[in-house]
Amino acid sequence: MMTTLNDLAYTRSGDKGDISNIGIMAFGAAEYEALRTWVTPERLRSFFAGVVLGPIQVYELPRIQSLQVVLHDALGGGATQTLRFDETGKSMAALMCRMQIPTALLRKGEAG
Amino acid sequence: MKTVRMGAGSGYWGDLLEPAIDLAKRGELDYLGFDFLAELTMSLLQRAKRRNPDTGYIPDVVPWMRALLPITHGNGTRMVLNGGGTNCEAAAEAVLRVARDADLTQLRVAAISGDDLTSRIGEFRQAGVTLANMETGERSIDEIADRIVSAHAYIGSEGIVEALAGGAEVVIGGRLADSSVYVGPLMHEFGWSFEDADWNLLGAAITVAHVIECAGICCGGMSSQWKNVPEPWNMGFPIADFRQDGTAEISKLPDTGGLINQWTIKEHLLYETHNPADYRMPDGIADLTTTRLEETGPDRVRLWDMSGRERPDMLKVQIGYTDGWIAEARVLLPWPDTMAKADRCEEIIRKRLDIVGVTPRELRFDRVGVDALAGPLARRPRRDPEEIELRVTARVDSREEAAMVNREVTHVSTIGPVGTAFGPPVKPREVIALWPTLVPRDMVPVNVTFEEI
Repeated sequence: MMTTLNDLAYTRSGDKGDISNIGIMAFGAAEYEALRTWVTPERLRSFFAGVVLGPIQVYELPRIQSLQVVLHDALGGGATQTLRFDETGKSMAALMCRMQIPTALLRKGEAG
Repeated sequence: MKTVRMGAGSGYWGDLLEPAIDLAKRGELDYLGFDFLAELTMSLLQRAKRRNPDTGYIPDVVPWMRALLPITHGNGTRMVLNGGGTNCEAAAEAVLRVARDADLTQLRVAAISGDDLTSRIGEFRQAGVTLANMETGERSIDEIADRIVSAHAYIGSEGIVEALAGGAEVVIGGRLADSSVYVGPLMHEFGWSFEDADWNLLGAAITVAHVIECAGICCGGMSSQWKNVPEPWNMGFPIADFRQDGTAEISKLPDTGGLINQWTIKEHLLYETHNPADYRMPDGIADLTTTRLEETGPDRVRLWDMSGRERPDMLKVQIGYTDGWIAEARVLLPWPDTMAKADRCEEIIRKRLDIVGVTPRELRFDRVGVDALAGPLARRPRRDPEEIELRVTARVDSREEAAMVNREVTHVSTIGPVGTAFGPPVKPREVIALWPTLVPRDMVPVNVTFEEI
């Protein structure tokens, strides 16, 4: 069984140059644990295939139960030179919401 | 315990004016800060100044000060802004003209300069500063040296502290770091210095500055909470009450729209901050991972346990340089066979560009409503959409080539599928690409000048 990230967290994205970042704010402790486990640079690499061309980092902020995802070479060169309609990648957060996450991870988080 | 009360009056050039007026009137603020600058802005302003040496600052500064100065002059609220852009002296003079027109007296305005490095590139190269691109690393500045439009350092709070100590009621900087607009007043009020700094307090100041610096965007603007945000059209901008012990409360005025809760503050802590343990600003490095927060009332969030480390030796510099042109054109395709029509139009345009000999550096076709935002992640629609906008964009070397792309997109409405609708063309735009780099802090002295009436 899978659920979508949209059911576990809020997201918002921003830009600096050609780097897009997506803040993921978990609804609670179980959701945070599930996301922390599942949202890895490797999974993001295949999830954003064709969109993100550079390195990917994921940072943890346990005190606010949030993740910071940083995507390099993600905006077609950056706001001033990209051909994207969404020059600053505000909609990247909405793409993130589609990621599928196993519900089993969530139950594990609750038990822990 | 001493508390400094600061409001955010603007988060970008073109922001709402009414919330700043409301804050000036009812906020009982010590300081009202304004950020007007995005990454591209300094290049645009530099070009404007080249055409007319009396310009180069944010034009909004004049109507903003016309509306705000008569309120703040006399109620003790001092204003700090980076709206001076590439011409702080001219902006300061403009502010004084506004004050004279409003019959204000005894007003002191400070202008901060030193951030403009456009004419100093050669000097840095001679001193052995590589100016390597922070993002791409390997490329040499020499590749773009003859196409540079502007180069500006993100400067910190030194100039603001000097200006406030010198009695300025309005402090106008150029490429002040967004956060310094708020960190500077805190340093002045609490008597902090960089020589004898408590870097955790500076980290706290940078964290709080970051939360409010985009104004309404921490108050339920651009928010995941949008369904629950009351009256965004009456958006209230944020207020930070910063206490001497390095804790703070974020709130907004009663009877304003917008929303402040744990989510709106969390989403802003994460907004464009990248590595949260290493949020580098000219005044210090904030560690956002230590921050704790809680809702302490309606539209009120408290922040504590904020921390930081010593400020970096290097300052970030943003260099803008010309890098070709962008053509953008669109046609609107009606049902039936919308997807097939879009495919056919794309094929026609590609063939036509071949025939007329235009080879763009990059060519993009968006089916707006289908894949313009999701790109390769888009799900193909199960049924043909009611209508599709085919948006065609191309990166080319010259204005002439951009015009040729536009012309070929226009042709598709006469040689392509029936019903292809077209509107007025979009003008080609020149690209100013950005080259972020670093320079040693000690090579960027800032200078403060005062003018008064």
